[in-house]
Amino acid sequence: MGRWQALLWLGPSLALIAVVVVYPAVALVGASLGRYSITGLYQGWVGTANYMRLLEQEALPDVVLNTIVWVVSIVAVTVVASLGLAQLLNEEFPGRRLVRWALIVPWAASLIMTSKLFVWLYDYYFGMLNRVLTVLGLLPAPVDWLGNDATVMAAMILVGIFVSLPFTTYVLLAGRAAIPGEVYEAARVDGASRWRTYRSVTLPLLRPALLVAIVLNVIYVFNSFPIVWTLNDRNPGFAHDTMITYMYKIAFKSSLRDVGLAAALGVVNVLVILLAVLLYLQTVTWREAEA
Amino acid sequence: MDGPGTREGHGLTRVLTALAALGVLASMLLVACDRGAGRAGGAGGGKSITVVIAEYSKDHTKPFWQSLSEAYTKQTGVKVDLRIIDWNSIDQQVSTMIQNNQPPDVLNLNSFSSYAKDQLLYSADDVLSPKTREDFIGAFARGGEYQGKLYGFPILSSARAFFYNKDLFGRAGLAGPPKTWDEFVQAARKIHGLGGGVIGYALPLGPEEAQAEWAIWMWNNGGDWKSGDTWAINSDKNVQTLRFLADLANRQKVTQVNPGKTNRTDGAFQLFKDGKVGMVMGFSPLAAQLDAERKVSYGVAEMPTAVEQAVTLGVEDYLMAFKRSGNQDAVKQFLDLYYQPENITRWITAEGFLPVTKTGLSQMSANAKLKPYLDALPNARLAPTTDPAWDRVKLDVQQNIGLAVQPGGNPKQVLDQLQKNAVAAAGAR
Repeated sequence: MGRWQALLWLGPSLALIAVVVVYPAVALVGASLGRYSITGLYQGWVGTANYMRLLEQEALPDVVLNTIVWVVSIVAVTVVASLGLAQLLNEEFPGRRLVRWALIVPWAASLIMTSKLFVWLYDYYFGMLNRVLTVLGLLPAPVDWLGNDATVMAAMILVGIFVSLPFTTYVLLAGRAAIPGEVYEAARVDGASRWRTYRSVTLPLLRPALLVAIVLNVIYVFNSFPIVWTLNDRNPGFAHDTMITYMYKIAFKSSLRDVGLAAALGVVNVLVILLAVLLYLQTVTWREAEA
Repeated sequence: MDGPGTREGHGLTRVLTALAALGVLASMLLVACDRGAGRAGGAGGGKSITVVIAEYSKDHTKPFWQSLSEAYTKQTGVKVDLRIIDWNSIDQQVSTMIQNNQPPDVLNLNSFSSYAKDQLLYSADDVLSPKTREDFIGAFARGGEYQGKLYGFPILSSARAFFYNKDLFGRAGLAGPPKTWDEFVQAARKIHGLGGGVIGYALPLGPEEAQAEWAIWMWNNGGDWKSGDTWAINSDKNVQTLRFLADLANRQKVTQVNPGKTNRTDGAFQLFKDGKVGMVMGFSPLAAQLDAERKVSYGVAEMPTAVEQAVTLGVEDYLMAFKRSGNQDAVKQFLDLYYQPENITRWITAEGFLPVTKTGLSQMSANAKLKPYLDALPNARLAPTTDPAWDRVKLDVQQNIGLAVQPGGNPKQVLDQLQKNAVAAAGAR
């Protein structure tokens, strides 16, 4: 009786999970085991052939490397910068409310709109960035930020950081606000300097918030599609793609045009991100046990 | 009470479970959305048909097809599930519909032969009345054939033309548009020499439409995609042409920066509309934008050529009818309605494209604005869309040819690779 009642309450969320998590997962794995014509027509079961073919793709090593650079640099810079921002926004100062609101804007704006905006900011001929930097004398000549192989990844990463900051800052700000005032009082009584207080009181107590911020960011950034897609759309080949945009190109934009192969990469993507997060959490708990 | 250690562990498990769910969720969202979009279709046989049309313009596409659908429903009692889809996502959405075994009944796209090859389509024998078939302009009807049967019904056409900025030509002391490649290079150098960031020729070989830009240069040097029935992408002529384009960018330096990484719409056209560019290959929608903005005084001419007769690219888009039990009559009536001269011509005129029917041609030939394009039509060539391998070759060219004109790029190597892939695609049956 009690058990059935529980099921009644859990029912809606279980149904939701079945529809939005389990069904697509099964469909994706199913698709990765099939052969599809260029039109999308299913042509039969091929077992693991798509996974084997995935390993043969010449672009794969570059794409994997791009993905690592993309995720690690955005998450690292975002978290460090957000620690500072959260600290700042935690202080009382005139206009704090305004700054807190302003910080939400890049988060609230559609990623595609933000990306388009940056495309024009970075533009070689019309872009603000080149104009400002050349007028200030910081650049001798304009740079084709999105066309130059040396700068395009950095340009995309900058946008990635820009849109990740608000969420991260707010997670850390919430964590900071949850630290009780007494511990700071105690630190003051013990005569700790500000830096010492930050290192020995704030940072350790921020740990749960930091953990959440890092893990969620790794997932978001890894799965991010619009920024790379929009800023990189002019570049031929796969030299600046991440595993997510590469998956889309395999399915629809490259001469492969193969839904099965793309689905195989989709499965790999899910496994990679799960593994990365598990490894990270493992390391963190292991370190905690040491300490 | 729990000790702090266990609580930490507890929280971690919870975080982990939540994350596992979230990770899966996020990655699957793409798939989930696709499936959702596909499922909404579900039009049963007989009482309703699904019509998928590509969005040629925000202003004209939807109004026309909506009113056509309404007229159709009034006439036949069959409802129309009309979907106007933008060009960026139409391939993906159609692919998803077919994956889910819910193809549209009528589809408008720029390719058809892969669908014909997969035996998904009705041929003209099944769904077009003889009167409609006979009205198609011969070249366009042939452009819709797969293995001798008409599957891709021409819906509209367009032709590229050579656009030049009259002010910049005047300032550079040039009398008129260049006719030969030598004159073209001279003109580009003179215009580029004006300085102040002026660009001689805007060359878009980025992924958006590289195959179109390339085809025009290729044909005007006497090369082609195929020689007879076999692919000939890396012919000597074509290698020479691609070297010529690479030289324009890297030796003569008369193009915009990074032509291999410039798209057409937001790159080359944007620069021309801003008056920064002497010459560009355009088409009638660009002319319409230039006329609306009134910023650039431009002329339209034939392509400069290295052969006897200048060649331009004609583009033909298609309507296809998907086989499904019980939909044949409904589809036939819908197509008949569209191909009634007043309907097809009204739409093609509104969108600024070119006719595909003989009646349309005679109706539209009086339009002075269309004259340069209509004049070019007899010398227009189509991409080899009748070959299913083309659907892969096109994407391969889009993704790779730009690499050849970048500094240090190797035109021969790029074309060799394209040729190799094309032969492989043709062999895959």
